[in-house]
Amino acid sequence: MDKLVYTAASGLKAHLASQAAIANNMANVSTIGFRADRVVFDRLSLQGSAFDTRTPASAEVADADRKPGTMQQTGRALDIAIPGESWLAVQSTDGTEAYTRRGDLQIAPSGVLQTGDGFPVIGSGGPITLPPVQSISISNDGKISIVPVGGDARNPQVIDTLKLSSPKGSETVKGTDNLLHVKGGGVLPADLDAKIETGMLEGSNVNMTQALVDMIENQRAYEVQANLMKSVKELDESSASLMRLPA
Amino acid sequence: MGSAAMHIARTGLDAQDMRMRVISNNLANVNTTAYKKDRAAFETLAYQTVTAPGAPSTAESKYATGLNLGTGVKIQGTARIDTQGSFQQTNNSLDLALDGDGYFQVQMPGGTLGYTRAGNFSRSPEGLLITSEGYQVQPGITVPEGATAITIGTDGTVSATIPGQSASTELGQIQIAGFPNSAGLLSKGDNYLVETSASGAANLGIAGQDGRGNIRQGQLEGSNVNVVEELVDMIETQRAYEVNSKMISATNEMLQYVNQHFGS
Repeated sequence: MDKLVYTAASGLKAHLASQAAIANNMANVSTIGFRADRVVFDRLSLQGSAFDTRTPASAEVADADRKPGTMQQTGRALDIAIPGESWLAVQSTDGTEAYTRRGDLQIAPSGVLQTGDGFPVIGSGGPITLPPVQSISISNDGKISIVPVGGDARNPQVIDTLKLSSPKGSETVKGTDNLLHVKGGGVLPADLDAKIETGMLEGSNVNMTQALVDMIENQRAYEVQANLMKSVKELDESSASLMRLPA
Repeated sequence: MGSAAMHIARTGLDAQDMRMRVISNNLANVNTTAYKKDRAAFETLAYQTVTAPGAPSTAESKYATGLNLGTGVKIQGTARIDTQGSFQQTNNSLDLALDGDGYFQVQMPGGTLGYTRAGNFSRSPEGLLITSEGYQVQPGITVPEGATAITIGTDGTVSATIPGQSASTELGQIQIAGFPNSAGLLSKGDNYLVETSASGAANLGIAGQDGRGNIRQGQLEGSNVNVVEELVDMIETQRAYEVNSKMISATNEMLQYVNQHFGS
């Protein structure tokens, strides 16, 4: 059989993987702070016995789309959104520092301040644990003020500051935990000029129209690969018929 | 592998369907006294590493980025949005609204304590202050028969004129419960919440102190559902649902195309 069939098969496989990535973006169109995955196709060059012309394709997720998502006003005191390019520092499951744009903060039963998907938020010295509070507010520059139970409501105390970091100038990559990590490990410096908005949330940055167009384009590209395989099948049949003795 | 895209889109459909339920419950409670709206929070499902970055692509080269495919989305939880509802003037002396944080404490059937912000109270045949479901307000306040001119101060002091007496008599004080983390209270239906390990223990005290709200007599707190906001969310949910279902049909067509052309 013609070797073309393997090249086409690699294309089919890559486009199916790409379709799964597009489906995941679409499914996360309402996930707070979600960053869309971008799929790219790469060539795998093969050195063959004849010409070096066969280059099967492979799909790769190149990185997350860094465009900002839409801001929605919610009015909840612990909802924050970052209008600039900075990210909120959180502790990932392996204990290292990672970054997110998800700002629906919550207080865990243990008093730890965490994001909606359960990652502890990092302050000036690691995760922030709050004492029982009467009221809590977050200022524009990320300072967390609380009035502890039994405290004076007219005199809130600043207990910590949220760490906001800009990925500018550093190589960062979106990990499988949906958080932004510094490539090769390490942490980003705190961005002291970063501002936040309270009572707002940043939605997903998946553009639904773009996702639909990508989906259709991917579908048609898949069909082209399938057509190639069909041509191979026909070529193969005609070669076989050459061998056949006339009846 | 072939149906991965379809299954991912299905998780999207499930999650949007769940969000629609939350929105319709909010809309249904637009006139419920002191109802607090819920918000569905979405979370991505685990990512799968199909090709690890740095894995060899050929004998001499390596993949620069790798292929991490997400597996969809789920509703991770609902968050109650505890913003203040608008006040409605009723002029009924036993209608109370809370201006600020806190809850009224009531005795639920079975002896557990429940917490509510719905202050549409009434007097039981025995003279006790009860909620619209007949649950007793804790600590109990007894309003004697024939008492008139019941006044309840912003700090919860209840006083009334009892027949045969000219001066107003103090009957007791309604106390307000505050919580370290009121977002952790569990909704029990009928507008009642119960304490959990996440909310922390109730600290009962006088209204207007330590962050507790003031009591406003003759008013009720309305629902904090904003109909326009819910309608916008509803349209958004519907469109997201449609997009996910289009993904299922597109992937189906892809597989169908292959089947039709290679099947024979």
